[in-house]
Amino acid sequence: MKPSLSSLYQAVEIGQEIPPLLIGERSNPNGSKKFRECLLADDFDGCLRIGLDQEAKGAQVLDICAAYVGRDELADLTQLVRIHAESLKIPIMIDSTNADCIEACLKIYPGRCIINSINLEDGGETLDRVCRLAKKYGAAVVALTINEQGMAMTADEKVETARQIYDLAVGKHGLRPQDLLFDPLTFTIGAGDQNLLDAAIQTLDGIRRIKAELPGVYTLLGLSNISFGLPPAARKILNSVFLHEAIEVGLDAAIIDAGKILPLAQISEEDRVFCRDLIYNREQGAEKSPLMRFIDHFSARVDGDEEGESEDKRPEEALHEKIVRGDKDGIEDILAVLLDRYPPLDIVNQILVPAMRHVGELFGKGELLLPFVLQSAEAMKKSVAWLEPHMQKVDQEEGTKVLLATVQGDVHDIGKNLVDILLSNNGYKVFNIGIKVPAETIIAKARELDVDMIGLSGLLVKSAIVMQESMPQYREAGLNIPILLGGAALTSDFVATSCVPNYDAPVVYCADAFAGLKALKDFEAGRLTATVAAPKNGKARMKPGVKDVTIDRSHPVPEPPFYGLRHVVDIDPAKLFPYVNQQALFRGRWGYRRTSSSSAEEYAELMRTTVTPLYEQLKTRALQEGLLQPKAAYGYFRCYSEGDTVFVESGDDVMAFEFPRQQSPPHLCIADYYRSREEGGDVAAFFVVTIGDRIAAETKRLFEADAYHDYLMLHGFSVEVTDALAEYWHEEMRRELGIAREKPADMTGYVTQGYQGSRYGFGYPACPDLDAHTMLFKLLEPEAIGVTLTETMEMVPEVSTSAIIAHHPQAKYFAV
Amino acid sequence: MRYICANCGYIYDPAQGDPMNDIPPGTAFADLPDNWVCPLCYADKDTFDPLD
Repeated sequence: MKPSLSSLYQAVEIGQEIPPLLIGERSNPNGSKKFRECLLADDFDGCLRIGLDQEAKGAQVLDICAAYVGRDELADLTQLVRIHAESLKIPIMIDSTNADCIEACLKIYPGRCIINSINLEDGGETLDRVCRLAKKYGAAVVALTINEQGMAMTADEKVETARQIYDLAVGKHGLRPQDLLFDPLTFTIGAGDQNLLDAAIQTLDGIRRIKAELPGVYTLLGLSNISFGLPPAARKILNSVFLHEAIEVGLDAAIIDAGKILPLAQISEEDRVFCRDLIYNREQGAEKSPLMRFIDHFSARVDGDEEGESEDKRPEEALHEKIVRGDKDGIEDILAVLLDRYPPLDIVNQILVPAMRHVGELFGKGELLLPFVLQSAEAMKKSVAWLEPHMQKVDQEEGTKVLLATVQGDVHDIGKNLVDILLSNNGYKVFNIGIKVPAETIIAKARELDVDMIGLSGLLVKSAIVMQESMPQYREAGLNIPILLGGAALTSDFVATSCVPNYDAPVVYCADAFAGLKALKDFEAGRLTATVAAPKNGKARMKPGVKDVTIDRSHPVPEPPFYGLRHVVDIDPAKLFPYVNQQALFRGRWGYRRTSSSSAEEYAELMRTTVTPLYEQLKTRALQEGLLQPKAAYGYFRCYSEGDTVFVESGDDVMAFEFPRQQSPPHLCIADYYRSREEGGDVAAFFVVTIGDRIAAETKRLFEADAYHDYLMLHGFSVEVTDALAEYWHEEMRRELGIAREKPADMTGYVTQGYQGSRYGFGYPACPDLDAHTMLFKLLEPEAIGVTLTETMEMVPEVSTSAIIAHHPQAKYFAV
Repeated sequence: MRYICANCGYIYDPAQGDPMNDIPPGTAFADLPDNWVCPLCYADKDTFDPLD
């Protein structure tokens, strides 16, 4: 195992694959005004929030300091360590030079942390004590290159001091090289101190040489020191360029403000030149010094993002901004101020609802992505929940009422739940009655709750049919309120031609939650009308695929390792991650799309600072908490084809799997990939795989706790990991059949099926009829791995998938 | 400029075109017909993001 730190929840390697290890710096009363204010007010929850914010912004370790004049460092620091250890997922760095404090913290910290720091200032007395503590408790240690003469300024002095410390720590105390992080000190080059003109050069040299001459140790810098004295916008850029230079010479870790680092790609070449001239003290034959040139160049630069210090703003604006930015932090304070001035209902209708409307508009323009919309909705929810006790009962009854349900036999609800979140946080009263709801129940509930509108959802083709067929039922029951229909299998044309005519009030197709929101607004404005079919001169969708195919009948039939079924329950979840389609996850499920209003660099930064850390945390969490329990029920069976049917033999049974055939050339049908009886028969392979029901339970818990953003994240993750399991298991089966040659090189290779044969999921375009599941379940008995069928043949839990596998080299995806 | 399908990750590369849909090499994404779909998962043009 690589040298790592750990919290209660996860391990973090010190040597990151993509350096540096990011250590959040803001939990320090000497560096952050906000943290200082919380600490002085004994607001430890406020302190924790700052730490959680750093974690959310990408910090991999959190530096915690409580040293402040007039306060009891020991009491403060142990309290802080205690609450952070519980709630923070990332490991911590104990920032103290007081050995008693360090010891007290080491005793209570449930993991492996870093001690910041030791040095040789007092000749080694404290160093001895702290090294003994580090050895006893197994902590890592930051060592500053300070000796009895003071701070080491030149690279030579830095290396020499480091070596002395190394000899003591490793030689005398038995620590290992990888337990040490040397900090060769960073001095500011931004204050014009003549003695510090080459300070950056000395530091960078120090890093390079320490890595070379003391093999196995790590290096660290307190980065922001480099730019002390410069204006904020310039600091951010200089810090970022300096960080890049330091990593180039071997820096492993950096203590920084996690939210304030820019990737080099986001810094113009011109800006970089000014930064490097300053760092390397290059006169360049100019009249002005590198510092003056730097200051002149950045003088007009304004810092893009604010600190959230919204004290100067009117509370009305501040609240609006909190909603739009999805920032729940401290929102109650603003609400409390507003409650003194306005009745709560006014706050909702005049400030909160318009703010959410603005969020919707930004989404529509492509300027805000879905996960951020959900964070706004969370802030909205928190605000309304806070205001609710202050509102009259009758106030809460206002608003158009909507009934939401997933139709009979269908278990899918992510779309419906997103509609719930969006509508209820835009002032509508939503009654979400869940999944697999029969029409009779919908009618009864609609009457009982006296709703103004019904919204129905369903994923598969079967659900679209259910919706179509239940329209006359709603009409006969005397319902006359509009019905909104949503679901991946629906199209506007289908709704217009098959649903609208059989119901007496408008039936409206909604492509997503935002379309549903628009429909509600149209309804309130009295202009909601039924969906109409597109004019016929619009072309039908293309049908991709080669048009001329002759299936080779002479392909050899592989010999499977066994005939019959097997159940596998010990699949290692970590093995699935390489098969996860990250593009589909990030863009498709999570909604982190690159719209026309964002550049490639902005999108790359979003990936780096937000999305990739989120994904990494989810994977770690999933493994730690055992949320993934991948299992497979699979088998190989003798078979033969006849026309459009594949006859599968299992014991004494013969099951007829009939597949649809394309109407237009090349008239493909899955049955074509299997030899007929005359040709000698073939082998058909099947699987049903699942990642278990634990993750579904956790996903549901998040939704019920109004953790909308995390709900979307976990749901999307579970769907893509299920697909990854299908990909992984299909590969295992290719291996067992002896047809797995080279693995595809990357995800694109898997997506484009760069392997022999194909798998076809029941319910998907090449075999849309789910009734085949009855036979499949007889063949594979997936109940033993926890998978069952609804009355419309959908699998439960949702995170399960099935397939028939063809080994024929010409078999690839197609649609009928 | 290449485009990526947000649903399945398929990448449309104008240099290659899209033989599955009879689109010749050299066709820019913007010039693909409105009824063009992803050759792998059949998602429509709106589901694609710019990549480069």
